[in-house]
Amino acid sequence: MSTTRHLVNRRRRLDAVGSRPGSRPGPVRELEEHPVRELEDGLERTPDAPARERPARPRLRPRGRPAVGTGETAPKESDAVPSAGPRRRRLLAPVALALLTVLLGGFAAVAGGAAADLRSGPGVRNAALTDAARTNEVKGAVSQAVNALFSYSYADPAKSDEAAKRLLVGAAVQQYAGMLAEVRAQAPVQKLVLTTTVTGGGVEAIEGDRARVLIYADQRSTSTADTATAGDSTYAAAMFAVDAVRRGGVWQIAGIDTFDR
Amino acid sequence: MSASSRRPRRSPLVVVAGATAALAAVPALWSGWSWYAAAHDDSAAYARARDQVLAAGEQAAQNMNTLDHRDLGPGLDLWESSTTGELHDQLVQGRAKFEGQVRQARTVTSAKALSGAVTELDDRAGRATVMIALRITVQVPDGAPATKDSRMLGELTRTPGGWKLSALGQAPMGDSAAGGLPSGAPGQPGPASSAAGQAAGGGSSRPAVPPSPSAGPSAPQQPAGH
Repeated sequence: MSTTRHLVNRRRRLDAVGSRPGSRPGPVRELEEHPVRELEDGLERTPDAPARERPARPRLRPRGRPAVGTGETAPKESDAVPSAGPRRRRLLAPVALALLTVLLGGFAAVAGGAAADLRSGPGVRNAALTDAARTNEVKGAVSQAVNALFSYSYADPAKSDEAAKRLLVGAAVQQYAGMLAEVRAQAPVQKLVLTTTVTGGGVEAIEGDRARVLIYADQRSTSTADTATAGDSTYAAAMFAVDAVRRGGVWQIAGIDTFDR
Repeated sequence: MSASSRRPRRSPLVVVAGATAALAAVPALWSGWSWYAAAHDDSAAYARARDQVLAAGEQAAQNMNTLDHRDLGPGLDLWESSTTGELHDQLVQGRAKFEGQVRQARTVTSAKALSGAVTELDDRAGRATVMIALRITVQVPDGAPATKDSRMLGELTRTPGGWKLSALGQAPMGDSAAGGLPSGAPGQPGPASSAAGQAAGGGSSRPAVPPSPSAGPSAPQQPAGH
């Protein structure tokens, strides 16, 4: 077999003998420095080496004690290598795999979080414009609803009442009633016709069955009571935002935001 | 040799660790793919572009309606940095004249975006149109500040420095104007629709009133748009 092993064992024996009479730092240190490297080599190639070296170990330890200064670190290393080496190698694969597991878990968490952020950000959930069909649907429905709701004729008040019943829900019912109260009160006297035309609609947000639409509308009111000014129209520009909800496939107005005016 | 005898000893731990790692690889792969897919989701990218356009448009529209006669330089610099293309050129050309007008009027104008929406977005071409509801406050030298709402229509163009206004004007009103809506031809961009116009004309901007009672019978009180 390998000469190193013989050398190792011989030195070990010598070492054991030499250590018995007492502590002699000189030869001890000389012996320690060489066996370390050779031992490692021997172990790599000869698996039965650990079995033989074991008896020597108990002696190695007490011998190290008297050594002073720099010499002390050497025996400890030489001592650790033969015993921890195989164990370290044995644990190498599981530890590496455990580390890999942790890394994979960490990556999964980071990637999952990043993906969730990208997907569920408020902007991404908002389907305005990204869903062109839905955007046009909402815009069209809300524009028509506004046209119907805010057009009023003294001759046919039932028409806007019907539109209100059909198109308004929630807070918008009261808001609308307040907005049109004066028109309703004066319409019969002034023979008033109010016509609202949506000139611009921009969908701010669509989330599921809820949407918000910014509306620009022109309002023309015509009074036919006074013959002198009969047919004269006055115009007003309006801007407001509408909160719409879809119920049973129909977009209804749930809130009218006039920006605190 | 004993290497083979050692292998079975090592294997249970290795097998368990390997299995755990393999199990951990499943969610890692899945979420990694999910991340990649989300990052390359065209719809999500389009949504982000939309939000960028809106933010840029609202800010630029506010900038273009904010001016302090005591601080004209930085204010007009901001106007210029908020715009691009023809609108930018017009601002640069008319700057000296406009400065004089504002100095004379001694107005302090500020604006706040109440609401806004992107109406068109061509991500590839880098063009977009926006609607921005603005509330503009004009403070004249002697007198109470006047607040008016303004229905702005803007067109934005993507530049290396971000999205910038290439056109800005008010939504036209009345039947006569109903045809020629948007901002393609900003007849009176920047100065005209902003501080000078507000300060000089007082009511030159069309009143934007909600469909409230005032819009109905009392509408005659409101100055008509033409």
